[in-house]
Amino acid sequence: MSSLVGFLSLVIAIGINFYLFLSRYIFRFQKQKFNLFIRFSSLLTLLSFFSLMYAYVVSDFSNYNVFQNSHSNKPLIYKISGTWGNHEGSMLLWLSILSIFSFFFSFTKNIDESFQRLTLIIQSLLHILFGLFIVFTSNPFLVNSILVNEGLGLNPILQDPGLAVHPPILYGGYVGYSIVFSIAIAGLFQNTDDEWLYVAKKWSLISWTFLTGGIALGSYWAYYELGWGGWWFWDPVENISLMPWIAGLALVHSLMMVRGEQAIKKWIVFLSILCFSLSVFGTFLVRSGILTSVHSFAADASRGIFILLIFFIVTGFGFLVFLLKEPKKSNALNLLFINKVSALVINNILMIIATLTILLGTIYPIIIEVLYNKRISVGGPYFNLTVIPIMIPGFLLMSIAPILSWQTNKINNSKKYVLAFIVLSVLVLIQSYFLDFNTWGFVGLLLGFWIILASTIAIFSSYKIKINIKFLKIINPHVAHIGVGIAIIGITCSSVFQNELDFNLNEGDKFIVNGKTVLFEKIETTNEINFQSLRGKFLFDIEKNQSKEIEAGKNYYPVSKMITSEAGILHQWNKDIYFILGDQKNNEWFVKVLINPFVSFIWLGVIIMMYSGLIAVSRR
Amino acid sequence: MNRIFILTPLIVLLVICIFSLVYLLSGKDPNKPPSALLNKDVPIFESSSLYNSKDIIKTKDIKNKKTLINFFASWCTPCKIEHPLFFEIRKKYPELYLLGFNHKDPSSDAKKYLEDDGNPYDFVGVDSDGLIALEFGVFGLPETYLINEDGKIIYKFMGPLTMDILKNEIEPLL
Repeated sequence: MSSLVGFLSLVIAIGINFYLFLSRYIFRFQKQKFNLFIRFSSLLTLLSFFSLMYAYVVSDFSNYNVFQNSHSNKPLIYKISGTWGNHEGSMLLWLSILSIFSFFFSFTKNIDESFQRLTLIIQSLLHILFGLFIVFTSNPFLVNSILVNEGLGLNPILQDPGLAVHPPILYGGYVGYSIVFSIAIAGLFQNTDDEWLYVAKKWSLISWTFLTGGIALGSYWAYYELGWGGWWFWDPVENISLMPWIAGLALVHSLMMVRGEQAIKKWIVFLSILCFSLSVFGTFLVRSGILTSVHSFAADASRGIFILLIFFIVTGFGFLVFLLKEPKKSNALNLLFINKVSALVINNILMIIATLTILLGTIYPIIIEVLYNKRISVGGPYFNLTVIPIMIPGFLLMSIAPILSWQTNKINNSKKYVLAFIVLSVLVLIQSYFLDFNTWGFVGLLLGFWIILASTIAIFSSYKIKINIKFLKIINPHVAHIGVGIAIIGITCSSVFQNELDFNLNEGDKFIVNGKTVLFEKIETTNEINFQSLRGKFLFDIEKNQSKEIEAGKNYYPVSKMITSEAGILHQWNKDIYFILGDQKNNEWFVKVLINPFVSFIWLGVIIMMYSGLIAVSRR
Repeated sequence: MNRIFILTPLIVLLVICIFSLVYLLSGKDPNKPPSALLNKDVPIFESSSLYNSKDIIKTKDIKNKKTLINFFASWCTPCKIEHPLFFEIRKKYPELYLLGFNHKDPSSDAKKYLEDDGNPYDFVGVDSDGLIALEFGVFGLPETYLINEDGKIIYKFMGPLTMDILKNEIEPLL
C-alpha cells in the first residue's frame, strides 16, 4: 500500500512539474497559483520519499527494494537510513532534496517575479529529468514477485551512524547547486539587474556548507571504519565530491567581490553552471558503475546512459545559454597589483586549475581504457604532487586577502604583518629542525600558523571587539580562514608526521606506545543483534590509575557474509592513537598502532568553516 | 578569442560524454579489468606439489587439455566462499584440469585448509613467494584463469566465482 502511495505521488509530482514547465508557454497563471503548485509538487515528492521510508521501517518485504536492502533484525536507525542506502532510494532522496530547495526558493521575497518564476521552471525541468530517471530505470516501488518474510540486509559497511546522515547532508550540497544553476540560467535569460547575484550568494553558501559537512562526515567515516588509518585516499568518489566543493568555494568568493563588473558576472555564471554540472557528473560516475567504490550499488548500463544523457542535457544547456546570452555590459574589473579583487581573481584561477587537475586525474583512466583497453589507476601520488602545489600560493594569498583594500594597493598595518611573519617562520623552522625536518611539514605548518596568525591580527587590529551578530558577520571571513588554517595544521601533521608501529602479541602482553605502557588484555567475541563482533581489548597507560580502554576488532555480518573492520581510536586533543586488530597467526595477534598527530584539528577546522558558512547565510 | 574561451566547456563536455558513452556501451565491467594476457600464451611456470615437493608441474604439462587455474590461499576469505563451486565444476566437467596455486601460504595452513574444506584440485602447486602470481598478473586473491588446449588464456576472473559467472561466462567457453 505504502509503495503504491509512494509511486503515485512521485508520478503526480512529475506531472505537476511538467504542467508548470508548459505554463511558461501555454497556460499562464498567477504567481500565487504557480507557487502553490510548486509547493504542492514538493510535498508530493516528500510524501513519496516518506512512503518508501515507512516501507523500510515496517520491513515491508513486498517492496522489492526493501527486500533487497533491508532485514527485520536491523536497528531502527539503519532501517531508516536504509531508505537511501541503495541506488533507487538515494535517487529518490536526491529528487526530494531538489523539491525541498524549490519549496524554500518559492518563498524568496523581494525579487523580480518573472525571474523567480523562471528559476522555478528550470528547477521543474530538472525535477522532470531526474523524476523520469527514477521512474524508468530506478523505481524503488517495484513489487516483489515472490512472497518472503525476510530481507537480504543492508551492506554492513553502511551500518554506521555517521554514514546514516552522510548522504542527506552531501546531497544537500550537490542538489543545492541546482538552485544556484537555475538562478544563473534565469539571470542570463532575463538579463535583468544584479539582484540575482545576491540571491545566488545565499544559496551557494547554503550548498557549500552542506557539501562541506557531507564530505567531512564521509571522510571521518573512512577514518574510523575502513581501518586504514587515513582520512583521505584520493579515491574517485572523494575526488568527485571535492571538485564541486572547490568550484563552489571559488563561486562563494566571486560572489563576495562582485561590484557589478561584467567580467566577474560572466565568471560567476560559469562557476554556477560548473558546480551543478560537476555534481551531476559525480552522480553519473558513481551511479553508472564506471567507478567502483562503496557507493556503486549496482552497475547497470541503461542507468548510466540515462544519467549521462541528463548530464549532457543539463550541462550542455547551461553552457549553451552561457554562450548565446552574455551578461550585459557594465563596469570593468578593478584590478590592481595587489588589492582584494586581484587576490580573489588569482585565487579563483588557482581553484579552477585545481578542479581541472582533479577532473583530469579522475577521468584519465576512463579515456585510457577506452583508447588502449588497458586499466591504469591514478591515485594519491598524482594528486599530492599536482593539487597540493597548486593550492599553496592560494593559501598564501588567503592569509593576507582580508587585510587588502578594495580600491588601492595599500596594505594596512603592513609592518606588523611582516614582523609577525618573520618571527613565525623562525619559530616554525626551529621547531621543525628539532623534530625531524620535512619540507612539506615545514611548509604546511608555516602556512597553517601564518593564516591563523594573520587573520587573528586582522580581527584585533581592525575592529573593536563586540559580541553581537553584526560583529560576528564582519569578522566572519577571518574566522573562516582561521578554520582553514587549523585544518591545514591538522592535515599536515596527520599525514607528514604519522607514526606506525607493528606488534605480534599474545593476550596479556604489554607493549610500549608513545612512551606509555599498553596492556593487550584479552580477545572477546560477542553476538550482537545483526552481527558477531570480535574485539581486542587494550588498556592504555596502565601505570596510571585512570588507564583508558580501547577496543579494536572486526564485525562479521552473517546475512551478507561480510567482515568490517572497526578501528579502536583513543582521541586526545593533540593526537589520535589508532589501533587496528589484524589476523591471528600461530596464536599471536597482529596489532598495528598508528599515532596520528592533530587529526582533531581537521574536524575542528571543518566545523569552523561550516559555522562561517552559516553565519554568512544568516541575515544582517 | 572570447568565444573560444566560452566554447571550451562545451567541447570538454562533448569529449567527456563521448568517452563515457563508449565506455558504457562497450560493456566494460570495473570489476573485470582488461587483461594484457588475454588470448596470449600462458606464462611459463614451474611449481612443486603441495603434498610432494618432488612432484613438479610445468607449463608444458597443461598443453593439450583445457585447464582452469585458480589462485587461492588459506588466509583469503573470499576464496573460502568460492571454494565449493570447484566441486561443482569437478562433477560437471571431469575432463577439465583443475590447477590450484597456493599463494603465499605456509604449507601446513594450506594443507589444513584443503583438509577442512576439501580438495577439488587435480594438482595443488606451491607459489609461496608469489612469483607465479606475478607472472600471471594476479591483482588480488582469488583469481581464476581458463586456458584452452593451445595453452592460451581465454578467460580471466578477479574475485570469488559465483554460480552466475560460471553459468554465463565460463560454461560457454568449455
